[in-house]
Amino acid sequence: MTSHALVRRGRAAAAAILAVALALTGMFLHARAAGARRRAEQPAIDAVARRLPTSDLALSGGSRWLRAPSMEEPTAAFADGPATPDPDPAGAMMAPVDDPGRRPR
Amino acid sequence: MVVGLSSAVLLFAGVIFLTGSLRAEAARAKVAMPDILVQRLVGGRPRTIGVDEKAKIQLLPSVASVRPRVWGYVFLPALQGNVTVVGVDADRAALADLGGAIGEGRDLAPREKEMVTGRGLARFLGLRVGDELALPSAERNAPSLRLVGTFASSVDLYTADVLLCDDDDARAILGVPPGEATDLAVRVKNPEESRVLARKIADLLPGARVIDREGLERVYELAYGRRAGLVLAASLPALLALFVLAWDRLSGALPEEKREIAILKAVGFSTGDVVRVKILESFLVSLLAVLAGIVAAYAWVFVFGAPGLRAALVGWSVLYPEAPLTPAVDVADVLAIATSIMGPYLLVSVVPAWRAATTDPMDVMRA
Repeated sequence: MTSHALVRRGRAAAAAILAVALALTGMFLHARAAGARRRAEQPAIDAVARRLPTSDLALSGGSRWLRAPSMEEPTAAFADGPATPDPDPAGAMMAPVDDPGRRPR
Repeated sequence: MVVGLSSAVLLFAGVIFLTGSLRAEAARAKVAMPDILVQRLVGGRPRTIGVDEKAKIQLLPSVASVRPRVWGYVFLPALQGNVTVVGVDADRAALADLGGAIGEGRDLAPREKEMVTGRGLARFLGLRVGDELALPSAERNAPSLRLVGTFASSVDLYTADVLLCDDDDARAILGVPPGEATDLAVRVKNPEESRVLARKIADLLPGARVIDREGLERVYELAYGRRAGLVLAASLPALLALFVLAWDRLSGALPEEKREIAILKAVGFSTGDVVRVKILESFLVSLLAVLAGIVAAYAWVFVFGAPGLRAALVGWSVLYPEAPLTPAVDVADVLAIATSIMGPYLLVSVVPAWRAATTDPMDVMRA
């Protein structure tokens, strides 16, 4: 390998390391700012949470009867046994076929 | 090779970041979680519970308060989904006083047939502050409710499908008769005694389902742990294929690399030195790939909202909260990802490095 090729490889490696270091710094700064923003919103979360029946998130519950899994399946680690496929339809890449006339998301 | 390793880290870290963020969000609202929850079961199915059971539980030592709650689901045909109707008792604190939980409009006024809804629900139904809505109900006297406010975006993850109204209105809409409640939320003076107290309540009310706080928290951990585990398990064959490719690539050294090793040996490097240098090279390559993958996963989940992954882990509800996810990255998770990718990669790089280092340098030079 020529000395030019070595220098080129060294420069490329240094540039890659610098880029990753900069990106990591940006990531930490972003995480810190987002965390501080969320902490500032905590009083609003507490105020609403006191009125809600559960701390369960409003995810994937709108079309099912499992809006609050902590209450509706309180002791179920799995529906039938460990390592069985997830029976919970929220855990799918695609929604099931819709009823006729309903616009799929 | 760097791109392949980074892609594997991207997938693994993306799943773990998203799961960690959702768990942290659920933990932020844990003030909503009662120490003990009492439901009535009939034939294994939940039924409403008598409010008079409150008095029996209240007599137990170390019970701080018992609150009958009225809440439930109403299926809206227009939405093709359920709305969570939550009744609020009259002695509640005003939301307006507390940190901007209301984004638009104002809080409920008692006994005025009003409601406050999540932003998504109001938007999906085309409701604006001041509009009235009649929810489908089995009760003839179910009132129409006037929208007086919507929740702020900061609480969207908890309220996207929620409709808050007075206890009496919730009873009428949900068909919960007076003297009955959906469940009883028990607060205890000493949380350490929750489990013992839960057992006492179960003895006191045969047929009731009594869940303590630990049980409530456990389900959430399991729900997301299970989904994340399945996504990661499905990705394992791809990771295995990557390591097979890495083995193939590293064992078939290029002529330029063979020549490089031969020169190192010719200038006095021992086989052990060459193996160490090659392992160091593999370490640096995999470290760079892991760091790049972690940064990419962070941007994927917390900057772009995890497109493609979010549906697999959190679902695809009609009323989908649009709030961005807040980073909750655990250093232990990052280290686990780095170890699970870098460890096998370094292992598959040792044998090819040793094989290349034991080749006679003269043979390579002559080739």
